[in-house]
Amino acid sequence: MTQLFVERFPDQARLVRLAFFNSFAAFGIGALFGLIQALHRTDVLRIVESPTYYTVLTAHGVFLVITFTIFFLVGLYQWAVTTSLERRPVDMRITKAWYWLMSIGTVIAGITILAGFLDDPPEVLGSQLSADVLFTFYAPLQGNPLFYVGLVLFVVGTWLAGVDWFRTWWAWKGDNPGARIPLPTFMVLTTMIMWYISSIGVAVAILAFILPWSLGLIDSLNPTLTRTLFWYFGHPVVYFWLLPAYLLWYIVLPKLSGGRLFSDPLARVVFILFILLSTPVGIHHQYLDPGIAEGFKYIVMTNTMFLLLPSLLTAFTVVASMEHGARQRGGEGYFGWLDALPWRNPAFTGMALAGLVFAFGGFTGIVNAGMNINYLVHNSAWVPGHIHTQVGTAVALTFMAGSYWLIPQLTGNRLVWRQAALVQVLLWFIGIVFMTNSMYRAGLVGVPRRTAEPQYAFEYDVGVGSMTELDFQLALGGFLLFISAMLFLAIIFMTWRNSESEPIVDGTIPPALSGPEDSPRVLDNLRLWIAIALVLVAIAYVIPLASIVTRGGLFGPDIGPFPVFTDPMILLEYGSKLIGMVVI
Amino acid sequence: MRIHVYERLWLVASMILIVAFIATVTYGTVGLGITMVDDREETLSPGDIDEDERFEDPRIEQVGENEFEAYVVAMTFLFQPDPIEVPANSEVTFYVTSRDVIHSFTVVGTNTNTMVIPGEVSVMTVEFDEPGEYGIICNEYCGVGHHDMEAELIVVEEDEFDLTELSVDAPDTVEPDAEIELTATVSNGLIDDLEATVTVEIGDETFQEDVTVGGDESEDVSITVDADDLGEGDHDWTVTVDDYEETGTVSVASDTDENDDGSENGEDTTDENDASSTVEDRLS
Repeated sequence: MTQLFVERFPDQARLVRLAFFNSFAAFGIGALFGLIQALHRTDVLRIVESPTYYTVLTAHGVFLVITFTIFFLVGLYQWAVTTSLERRPVDMRITKAWYWLMSIGTVIAGITILAGFLDDPPEVLGSQLSADVLFTFYAPLQGNPLFYVGLVLFVVGTWLAGVDWFRTWWAWKGDNPGARIPLPTFMVLTTMIMWYISSIGVAVAILAFILPWSLGLIDSLNPTLTRTLFWYFGHPVVYFWLLPAYLLWYIVLPKLSGGRLFSDPLARVVFILFILLSTPVGIHHQYLDPGIAEGFKYIVMTNTMFLLLPSLLTAFTVVASMEHGARQRGGEGYFGWLDALPWRNPAFTGMALAGLVFAFGGFTGIVNAGMNINYLVHNSAWVPGHIHTQVGTAVALTFMAGSYWLIPQLTGNRLVWRQAALVQVLLWFIGIVFMTNSMYRAGLVGVPRRTAEPQYAFEYDVGVGSMTELDFQLALGGFLLFISAMLFLAIIFMTWRNSESEPIVDGTIPPALSGPEDSPRVLDNLRLWIAIALVLVAIAYVIPLASIVTRGGLFGPDIGPFPVFTDPMILLEYGSKLIGMVVI
Repeated sequence: MRIHVYERLWLVASMILIVAFIATVTYGTVGLGITMVDDREETLSPGDIDEDERFEDPRIEQVGENEFEAYVVAMTFLFQPDPIEVPANSEVTFYVTSRDVIHSFTVVGTNTNTMVIPGEVSVMTVEFDEPGEYGIICNEYCGVGHHDMEAELIVVEEDEFDLTELSVDAPDTVEPDAEIELTATVSNGLIDDLEATVTVEIGDETFQEDVTVGGDESEDVSITVDADDLGEGDHDWTVTVDDYEETGTVSVASDTDENDDGSENGEDTTDENDASSTVEDRLS
């Protein structure tokens, strides 16, 4: 048994622990808000006023899909680069800089959002300190400038992290001329290339338009333009959440199954496909937008469908690797090998269940991508159903399961309560099945997403079952997920405190059955893939963006800001102004 | 590159699946004619909505045999007009724009669903085959009252649908020796002629007159009553055309009476009572 990660790289282990700490803290808050929402929407228990629901919803979105996922990513990638290249960062000051930039950004954005709970938020930078604009912050809804500043710092932090990992790789390349990039590092670098290409969109949206507009430096902006720039980033960001889970499925899951990765070359192809296809698809979130021609929507539809390919290849490789592992453990028969898998290991079971949910959720994503059937489900509860199977389970459950394997190596402590950990991953699975079953079905009958009270004057035409039954499943699922999340945090906390123990975990990763020598070297030519990716992005985006700017102008056809406050008095004033306008 | 034979098969099957998905979407677009909301309309600044002839008065218009256009304005936190009434067996093109933030115009349980972005006009054409009632909601978060943003879409029987408007012009007070002249204006927003009976009830008297109102035209019906016949005092009147009704009161009083009785009526200087009813006031 090799030395533990924490023994080989104590300072790196500490940094990964810090990143995971931020990630899990955000996870705990986000999970609590998720429970509040599940109970509020279904009218089981409403502990906040409905306008405040949107503060809860904004925090749930930002803390979970930005803070929880991306802090886990940087921690995991720091571990992956360090362990696969067997070296520390070139300059640890940069490593610390990105960690602190991301942390400060999170705190600033977090305070701005949470200030929405105050009855009378203080004035900061010329407007009330709040940002009930949800994770998508579509202008002309306007949050406090600090919200956008926090997001910018956070994203700049992730960029710096990428620089850090590239430098480590360049230093390694100097020492190992001609060697193939180790697979985990290859995955890190390709993910970051995708991230650089795509996060430019949100950076331009914020820095050129939304931030100066929220500070009052410009009066108007073009909402179609900022929205398009957001989705230029908004779809690839889901792969930024997903690819760390892919890394765990490719690198760790085969080993947990008792075997080794089936194919290293195909893993590389999959990650390259994500560089190429992640970004030129964002307009598929805008199928229902006016101001974008049908032809552009059709182009992104085809690109999106081809994005199925890397996920289908992953399904094959992961299942093949698991089968190989099971057969190494004595499994036999067409399906009998499933029995031989280590189902009592929470790290394995969590990842396997996450993969199962991901496969199902992937098909619901095809419904979203089908541009004409999308009309039926767009912005219905179907969409958060899809998000919660994909990010909320494929990603989140994989991260939790992966933590059961990683945390002992990062702390030198034995995982506590293995049985409870198994219950935890099962509970998550059961919770998500109830909750997303409700969301998917409710979405099909037209129940909207993102609303405090989906109860209207009309009745939904629920074909099978009833709204009461759907609400019950949603509330029950949300409750089970919350319990599971708290159990996870308790297990991690107790493991961290469990310092009087020796971990039973083997950190070695066996080489793939079909190694990198079976693939052409061109796969490692990152410059080539960047160039092709940029061409594809240009094809998908240059003309639509030019058309949006030509039609509506760079700063829009005179669109003023609409600050979002939860203060009911302001709402009243606002309403009376509108009524005045209507009467005139 | 060495790829396992099973993996090759899987790769080929995956590509077939992907192409098949693209083919079904293409069929939906070309074969079934499901067109996308797109950029066919010019941009429209929210500040210009009140000067735009489509949106200054949000409404339904008939533009052809069984063809209608609906001009809808979305704003925090309501839709105009509300309710929206359309006939069955028709094709309605919705033009929707926003006065403030991003909304949606979503007919619940159907695929009539579009984002409504300030500065842009969304256009979608919908066929309504059967009568029914639907909820319209905004499904994009638009602010603290987002969950209250809803309207109603009513698809009525084809032969029950009209775009009739009734307005009545009648005096508030007249001298006992004067005549009361009451004018009902019936306008018809449909293309086909409207055959209707205007019924006026005032005091104990009832008048009926059949009118034919041409497409997109209006007709006046006037009746005259001697105030003496009604006698002094307040007299209610009612004008009905099909399902539309207008009511009001006329007072017959001499000037001297009024001066004596100034504490009650003296400051009431309006002598005309304009009432108009649109779809919102319909009785049925």
